[in-house]
Amino acid sequence: MSQTDLMKDASPKVRRILFGVLTLIVGLILVRQLTPPRYNTELDLAAFGRLPAQEGGRIKPIDSIARANLLLIANRSSVVDGGDRLSALEWFTELVLAPGAAVDRRIFRVDHPQVAGILGVDNEERNYVSLREILPHFDTLQAQWTGVPEEPQLRNPYQRALVKLADSVGLYDSLAYTFVPPPVFGRDDVNFSILRRALADRATKEPGTEEYRTVTNAINLFATQYARLARTLTLQSVPPEVAPETGFPEWRNLGVSLLEATETGVIDPVVEKYALLSEAFANRDAATFNRIVAELKPILHERGGVNAGRVQFEHFFNTVDPFTAAEVLYVLVFLVAAASWLVYPRTLATAAFWITLVAFLIHTFGLLARMYIQGRPPVTNLYSSAIFVGWGAVLLCLVLERIFRNGIAAAAAAPVGFCTLIIAYHLSYSGDTLEMMQAVLDSNFWLATHVPTVTIGYSAVFLAGSLAIVYIVRDRIFGGIPKDQGKAISGMVYGILCFALFFSFVGTVLGGIWADQSWGRFWGWDPKENGALMIVLWVALILHARWAKLATPTGIMQLTIFGNIITAWSWFGTNMLGVGLHSYGFMDEAFVWLMVFVISQLGFIALGWVPPVRFIRRGTASGGVQ
Amino acid sequence: MRALYTFFSSIKLTVLLLAAAVVLVFFGTLDQVHYGIFHTQKLYFEHVFVTWSYPQQAPFAERLGWLEVPFPGGYFIGPLLVLNLFFAHFRYYRVGYKKIGIVFIHAGLVLLLLGQLWTQVSQREYFLWLAEGERKGYVESFHHDELVVVDRTDPDHFRVYSWPVSAFSRREAVLSHDSLPFRLRVVGFAKNAAIFPMAEGPPGTPNLRITEGVGAERELTFIQIAPTFREGERNITTALVDVVTPRGPRGRFLLSNVFRQGEPMREYFPPQMFEYEGRTYELALRFSRRYLDADIELVEFRHDRYPGTEIPFNFSSDVRIIESPDMPPRHALIFMNNPLRYSGLTFYQASFADNDTKSMFQVVSNPARWIPYVASGVISGGLLLQFIISFFEAGRKRREARLQQGGAI
Repeated sequence: MSQTDLMKDASPKVRRILFGVLTLIVGLILVRQLTPPRYNTELDLAAFGRLPAQEGGRIKPIDSIARANLLLIANRSSVVDGGDRLSALEWFTELVLAPGAAVDRRIFRVDHPQVAGILGVDNEERNYVSLREILPHFDTLQAQWTGVPEEPQLRNPYQRALVKLADSVGLYDSLAYTFVPPPVFGRDDVNFSILRRALADRATKEPGTEEYRTVTNAINLFATQYARLARTLTLQSVPPEVAPETGFPEWRNLGVSLLEATETGVIDPVVEKYALLSEAFANRDAATFNRIVAELKPILHERGGVNAGRVQFEHFFNTVDPFTAAEVLYVLVFLVAAASWLVYPRTLATAAFWITLVAFLIHTFGLLARMYIQGRPPVTNLYSSAIFVGWGAVLLCLVLERIFRNGIAAAAAAPVGFCTLIIAYHLSYSGDTLEMMQAVLDSNFWLATHVPTVTIGYSAVFLAGSLAIVYIVRDRIFGGIPKDQGKAISGMVYGILCFALFFSFVGTVLGGIWADQSWGRFWGWDPKENGALMIVLWVALILHARWAKLATPTGIMQLTIFGNIITAWSWFGTNMLGVGLHSYGFMDEAFVWLMVFVISQLGFIALGWVPPVRFIRRGTASGGVQ
Repeated sequence: MRALYTFFSSIKLTVLLLAAAVVLVFFGTLDQVHYGIFHTQKLYFEHVFVTWSYPQQAPFAERLGWLEVPFPGGYFIGPLLVLNLFFAHFRYYRVGYKKIGIVFIHAGLVLLLLGQLWTQVSQREYFLWLAEGERKGYVESFHHDELVVVDRTDPDHFRVYSWPVSAFSRREAVLSHDSLPFRLRVVGFAKNAAIFPMAEGPPGTPNLRITEGVGAERELTFIQIAPTFREGERNITTALVDVVTPRGPRGRFLLSNVFRQGEPMREYFPPQMFEYEGRTYELALRFSRRYLDADIELVEFRHDRYPGTEIPFNFSSDVRIIESPDMPPRHALIFMNNPLRYSGLTFYQASFADNDTKSMFQVVSNPARWIPYVASGVISGGLLLQFIISFFEAGRKRREARLQQGGAI
């Protein structure tokens, strides 16, 4: 078969085979991604993962806590230990119910050779170490930590690596004793038998006697330890006695609850049950473990003021992981759409459209799920803005594909969807992505109007930029772009830029109105405001250049690609300055990636000035400009 | 003339100006790291030309530190854009519905730019610190200082004479008022100063021969230091003032805003007073005040956090507005996203101190407040209209093209 034949389009038979194969691939991806994990044990870990606890002011399933903290400590979503692969929940269950066994899990990431040197490991070979491997070098590390400057900007890479390790160990330490206290008097007191006997003795002994003093001294030793726990634990595992009628239920951490027990003489039944659970876990006693988890659930829900539906749903959402599924599908979309420029244009473009639609629906499900769990509009932080930017770009692409039906928009949107989901995944390293909102942002009205409008503006500029890249790459590397397709891309870029101008402008204005309503000033030259303004100005510039024919079609594409840089600056760069009302966190690793992105875009722009090269010969049947 | 018209009406100029604006806004954002928002705004957006220097903290500063890039500022680009819009409209606009949205967009844009100019000229920002139970009848400026003579003879009714610092900051000046029996000669001034006892200075520290007030008591002197522009930092504005009566000099005072203000609302020094012809006067250099028609009292400040965290979900101040002793006071609750608007001023919750017992309000007055609302409404409407028109036009063209193609085959 010659190339000319391939460009004609598939025969009905080939078409059927292609569709069948692609459906099968999509089906396999979905089944693989969307089936809940199976834990290799009799213990009902999934039920344990659905139990609620409070962290960062939010009540969430233990499964979410496990995932977010493993990402924070290990920067990955599962623990690979020798041949074993532990899910976040499996690791966390072991950590909190059998801390003694968990110290050998290699979860601390060591990238810096000097830090690896202190620990005596070869990080060429492996870059994860266990707590047991760190402990002997603790004094050396401690001595090194004292030299680290307070200001994060002043730290060198080695010091940053040290701080990262210190933070991870600190976090590990604050989590390990969330449900069961550490051993007292050198031996495990998992069912509180010693404490219970001391408390009972205190109640019966005469105050002032020697025995009474001995007992109180013992209880004070417990209390000292619990007071330390109360200070260090960041997770609240014990619900209030009674759920409050209104407002936030105030859960307590294990230390606070046990400290109270040393005074009142009564240990909270939840604390006792967790102790029994830990015992059952250590003995691999599945029947007891499952029974206690089942008993804990109603108590926690009732006393803790838990919205049971939301917590269950969050667990479901975690296990389904729709964004990863969408990510994989976007890769497939890109491959299929790009293939359509070489063979069977119609068939493959149609296939690309339908796969995009499936990916989009899954993406949308994820977005809606997060909104339901959080009870908030879609964009509440940088993480959710990444999810939303990709979603918006794909939505626009679907509209374009309905009009043009040529697979170009799908090929342009798929990388945007894929990259933004990758960005989101990396942003989730910084902890819970459904965190509670700061007071200043606690306004659903503005979160629902200003933020999505501005963000969809980003989506549009990125989609236009991506289309422009498709144009230039096909034109310069794939030996010229067919005339009709070139015109189609120009039209799409133009339409999307108009859309971008409208949404960026309206979004910026809504932001101004929010600022005026809240702070009495419409415009404050804050970095984020300036970033939005730059997008508006740049898009206006491109449109004017186009209307006045001041640039060639390639020139317009180059300007549009530069829009990607401006939008990336507005989205991430402005946050890195640490100035103004919108500065939510300095991210130095992100800065490197921003630079990589900028350079890559400049590369694409430069490609527009390079004479066409023909790496791949294109068929002549479609009659392109050569 | 013709050439000028062509130049001012060309879209090439529009594109150049937009590019210049992008550059300006970008560098105007970068420099906020060093100068803070307020100063950068003045430097970039309220000047005709701007010079950007390579930041000394940035990488390669040793080799690129000499680099200085001049480019047009806000007062260069803004007026040119307005002119450009105006002329281009006459050159390109053809009557008809197809471009009607553009007229709206551009008209709104001109209004927006003019409104921004008006805001820049007229907007004032103040602050108000209140402790729980405290009341004040004035707000204080974030950036400006004033020199005041307060006639305190009648303890129930002070008379305040004030001069802005700009009246004497550039050169020696004599300040007087018809109702005052003396004049003030400002003999020394520093926008930002270091004040210290003369004994602690290096040899050769100037003796300022201060005869009155805290400067004389503690034998103080001052030297000028570079003004700061950092966000949240304030210059220690200082002046050396002679009081001159018709009968001759009455004494020399050292005045500084730091004497009248330290940490939130804590005044370090007693007021500097003197007697003349049976009347008591206070002399001070302080943050410029704007007096209100009412007193504002802080009843309670609340700072609520999510359980088990330090993340705040609410800052709120319950205040009482006391307009006159005869009228019952009004209550208002100021919290995030819910400011108090009172007599042309907007009070919003900005900060707090001292274990959540003191609350700070940022207070803004902006007579041009309404303009952005109107302007952006007009622009948004215009954009929407124009894109709808273009969309249908494009659809029509595509259909026509398809028909023609069909005909050709």
